[in-house]
Amino acid sequence: MQGSRGSYERMIAQAFPSGHSSSMSTHGESKLVAIVDDDDSVRSTLRELLRASGFLSNTFESAEDFLRSCHRQATACLITDIRMPGMSGLELQARMNAENCRIPTIFITAHGDEEMRFQAMRAGAVEFLQKPFDDCVLVEFVQAALNR
Amino acid sequence: MDDPGKLKWTVVSVMSTALRYGLAVVSVAAALGLARAFVYFHLPQPFAAFALSAIAITFWYSGTAPGIVAAVLSSLVRSFFFEPDTNAESRVLYDVVFLVFALLMTRVARARNELERRVAERTAELTRSNDNLKREIAERSHAEYLTSKVFECSPDSISIVGTDYRYERVNPVYQRDWERAAESIVGMHVEDLWGKPLFENKLRPLLDRCFAGEDVSFVDWIDGTLGRRYVAITYSPLRSSVQRVEAALVIARDLTEHALASEALRQAQADLAHASRLTAMGELTASLAHEVNQPITAAVNGASTCVRWLTREDPDLGEAREAASGVIRNAKRAADIIKRIRSMSKKSEPTKQAIDLNEVIREIITMLHNEAHRYSISILTNLDATAPKVVADPVQVQQVMMNLIMNSIDAMKEVDRRRELRICSELAEHQQVVIAVSDTGVGLPSQQAKQIFDAFFTTKPHGIGMGLRISRTIVESHGGRLWAADNSPFGAKFYFTLPASLGSEG
Repeated sequence: MQGSRGSYERMIAQAFPSGHSSSMSTHGESKLVAIVDDDDSVRSTLRELLRASGFLSNTFESAEDFLRSCHRQATACLITDIRMPGMSGLELQARMNAENCRIPTIFITAHGDEEMRFQAMRAGAVEFLQKPFDDCVLVEFVQAALNR
Repeated sequence: MDDPGKLKWTVVSVMSTALRYGLAVVSVAAALGLARAFVYFHLPQPFAAFALSAIAITFWYSGTAPGIVAAVLSSLVRSFFFEPDTNAESRVLYDVVFLVFALLMTRVARARNELERRVAERTAELTRSNDNLKREIAERSHAEYLTSKVFECSPDSISIVGTDYRYERVNPVYQRDWERAAESIVGMHVEDLWGKPLFENKLRPLLDRCFAGEDVSFVDWIDGTLGRRYVAITYSPLRSSVQRVEAALVIARDLTEHALASEALRQAQADLAHASRLTAMGELTASLAHEVNQPITAAVNGASTCVRWLTREDPDLGEAREAASGVIRNAKRAADIIKRIRSMSKKSEPTKQAIDLNEVIREIITMLHNEAHRYSISILTNLDATAPKVVADPVQVQQVMMNLIMNSIDAMKEVDRRRELRICSELAEHQQVVIAVSDTGVGLPSQQAKQIFDAFFTTKPHGIGMGLRISRTIVESHGGRLWAADNSPFGAKFYFTLPASLGSEG
């Protein structure tokens, strides 16, 4: 664990030579991250984590809320839970694919199995993370998604 | 038909009349004979005295009418046989003497008759009271027989203990229990039979209360020379005619076997309820894991955020502090959930306390809302905030709520319509708080609606059919009721009531 954490930090250090503080100015309004999770505390702490890492994000309580939102077009990266009341994260992904609106998507789930992971990755997910996840891994993938 | 009897009676009556008047004639004749004999032997002539005796005898034995006849006869005999030449004045004097004597004798005879009547009355009275006494004695001896039968044949141990704490009488149960002759127990001190600790701590205080005139009952486990026994004992004061208590009637029943059996039953029920809780918790593992995982994820996010604010080139302590307090909040939330799960899984003796049912409902919903979300079930509540508390075991009530909600979720998993779980609480009549759990699921099995509360009845592929059964046992053991009805327009509705705690603060 210690080793992998160290390697992620190195990767991030390479990606952001000037440090995290500069990232805020690096990404403008167009580089919005959307967070969809039905759990209030997970949603808000994730937003804070991204803010501490220099990313701006919008949070949504459900997939339906996100789809209704006007920020959708400005979203550069989507972080979504899979199991939610109403539309699931996978259904949201399918819906976006169907509308040809391919936003890089990172799934976070408390109980993902291999089948679910396979399905998500095949549909074009950037990553599939188990809760609780390593912040460095998440930040790295968000960074990668935004740099696309 | 009764002519011979009547005839006989008439004959006896005539005979008796003849005899009575005959006595008058005979006694006067005897007086005449005796007087003539006196005259013959030249003795002073005492006919008058003899005649008076004859009249007296006749009055005494034959009554008034023959007595008067004797008086008249005496008068005639005197004037005919003795001193026929007496002048008219002395004849009248004699007649007057006889008449006065006869009158006096009439009074005497009447007095005698009165006396006889009284004697007869008294005799009858005595005979009656003698009969009563005999009957009373018979009744008493029967009562005594019954009493001794009860004493001898009672399965309970019965004894009489004097105020000196010594046995005055014991029944054969003592003989059986102590394996020694009952006579050898009589006279023994209670302390010597039961041992000093039991006597001093329990038996003596009870006996003393009884000797002070109180009827005392006692039900508990006792440790005496017979080992540990569960007994029900009653002490009744025995008084003599004076008001002082002279002894105690002690009746004791050994309920050890019953107590052990009911304890075993209670234990078995508790084990079953525990097993059923564990089964339900097992079914919920995935949901509960998710439930705990959420705050842990949030805490980890918060900690990462905190580290990031601190490791910047210009660390932002304010943001870091904010993130750290979020960690604390979320870690506590995780701990709370684990505490709830533990309390549901732990095996503990039921402890009743005043609890807020709405609080229990909210906790269960927190625990199960993920399970509901998993099947796209919305949970609606309508809880009466003014409903009073109930006295109940919180874990057991949670178990009932969990059973009902899990059943509802199971019933809605497959249905293709709005999936809605509705929980209501309100204060009903008779100080009962009623909880209703309704769903829009498959509904009650129409043919077997009454069987759903039977043990091992289930409509679920992997159910063991104990949930509703145990829930009903729990609710009833709290003095409430649990029943089911059809929900409108579809689904099932379960109700249960629990008595409101008296003197609750709301």
